[in-house]
Amino acid sequence: MTKHFLGLGVLLAVGIVYPAIFPNYLTIAISVLLFAGWATSWDLLGGWNGQVSLGHASFVGLGAYFVAIGQSRFGLAPWWTMAMAAAFAAALGYFWGWLTFSLRGPYFSLSTIAVAEILRLVAINEEWLTGGATGVFIATLPEPFGIDLFSRVAQFYMALAFAAVVVATVIVISRARFGYQLRAVREDEDSAMAAGIDPTTTKLKAFMLSAALTSIGGGIYGIVLAFIEPHVIFALLLSVQIALTAIIGGRGTIWGPAVGALVLIGAGEMFRTTFAEANMLIYGILILVVVLFVPRGIVGELARRRIRRLYAKRAQG
Amino acid sequence: MPNVLRADGITVKFGGVTAVNNVSLSLGSGEILGLIGPNGAGKTTLFNAVTGFAPVHSGRITLLDKDITALPAFKRTRLGFGRTFQTERPFEELTVLENVLIAAFLTAGRRSEAERLAMNVLEQVGLADRAHQPALDLNLARRRRLELAKALAVRPKVIFLDEIMAGLNPPALREMIAFVRTLSTQGLAVLMVEHIMEAIIELSDHVIVLASGEKIAEGTPQQVTSDERVIEAYLGTD
Repeated sequence: MTKHFLGLGVLLAVGIVYPAIFPNYLTIAISVLLFAGWATSWDLLGGWNGQVSLGHASFVGLGAYFVAIGQSRFGLAPWWTMAMAAAFAAALGYFWGWLTFSLRGPYFSLSTIAVAEILRLVAINEEWLTGGATGVFIATLPEPFGIDLFSRVAQFYMALAFAAVVVATVIVISRARFGYQLRAVREDEDSAMAAGIDPTTTKLKAFMLSAALTSIGGGIYGIVLAFIEPHVIFALLLSVQIALTAIIGGRGTIWGPAVGALVLIGAGEMFRTTFAEANMLIYGILILVVVLFVPRGIVGELARRRIRRLYAKRAQG
Repeated sequence: MPNVLRADGITVKFGGVTAVNNVSLSLGSGEILGLIGPNGAGKTTLFNAVTGFAPVHSGRITLLDKDITALPAFKRTRLGFGRTFQTERPFEELTVLENVLIAAFLTAGRRSEAERLAMNVLEQVGLADRAHQPALDLNLARRRRLELAKALAVRPKVIFLDEIMAGLNPPALREMIAFVRTLSTQGLAVLMVEHIMEAIIELSDHVIVLASGEKIAEGTPQQVTSDERVIEAYLGTD
């Protein structure tokens, strides 16, 4: 655990000086950090607990809409609305889990697609609150300690803090009782019950925590976008991207989702500038390659090789 | 002998099929109860019904006089049930210690405390030297012991052993028999489903024989093995 925290500390230090060194690459860094945070949050449920969600855009959208509507309609500062969004996302996660966790296998995943779709329709139709299909615009933001939240540097640091907090949460959980309960339920619900673990409660807790963390990143995303449209934010593509980021990086590993964000967003950006319209095709091929040849994800595969090597060494000598 | 576990008139039905029909059993602390019968007799089903992994159609199960018939399996574990599974599925990517830790966390809140408990149990089953090895690398006999360690780490009052002797070579079998004996001398109530007659005869204080979901005989190992209905059930008649 100290090893992981040390790694996180080093990355944080790099992050803190990053805007001074690469002032022209802040937007892509914000994307990487937000996706790292979202994918790591997703992984608490999808990787550590084995419940694959294809609806995490719901929570991103909730965070973004809470911040935008709170600011533009009610003059509420983002930190309050992010806390509210987290509570609301957790409640939605609880409700959705309560409805669907009795479904085993792919049915839960399929049902999560519906959540974002429902929220998208609500956002389009409840114009009085959400601005309907046109969306909401954030025109002003408070300036805590004189910091301009519209500046990319401030947004970068918010995204950095978000990603760091989520990764730190996972580091702690990976060693704690809850982390073992998550994995036990993922591996085999019957064995988990034989160890006194309630599978449904465990899944609900994971879903609530994952949803709440994702929505906080969504709130930051709302500030970054400043203009929120329902079909962009509640998009299935975003849900799928979040899940794929974690899967390609390595499900159920501490650093996998963050590595996935770096690879996918980095590659995505490169492909977009180089190949324009063909970028989705190349994105697709990249995903196929990982699924076929590195099914455990990048970090998952590395970890497995390390364990094997260690064991082979011990078996020899 | 005071009863730790009682099951009265247990019936389990799957659709229209009665897998277990009106079977009762009781078990005191330090007692070993063997459950035998030909394949498909309903042993594992009865076992699963008592531990909460199969639905009970009718009947009543009590643990220390508390009615637990309606409780889900994980609550029965919390009240004092430990069980092994016939097909042991250790958590392969975790170490042996971490596998046991999952169960140890039930009674130990802090990690250090849980680790201590898990280590104790591993010493008991003779896996302490492999604590930090991935569970993936254990052979069958050691996987069985790991399965046993997981069941013991919840600090049960009654332990349910589902064919833990199957497939073991003679020395490993002897060790396992000796180990189950120690568990009972420590005051644990043991219910075991077993095909290996050597283990049943040597260990059981009491044996229940099932055939086609019905209890066809019960008594000491000597009584049941000389019972005509039992011999008939195993060998058939012509």
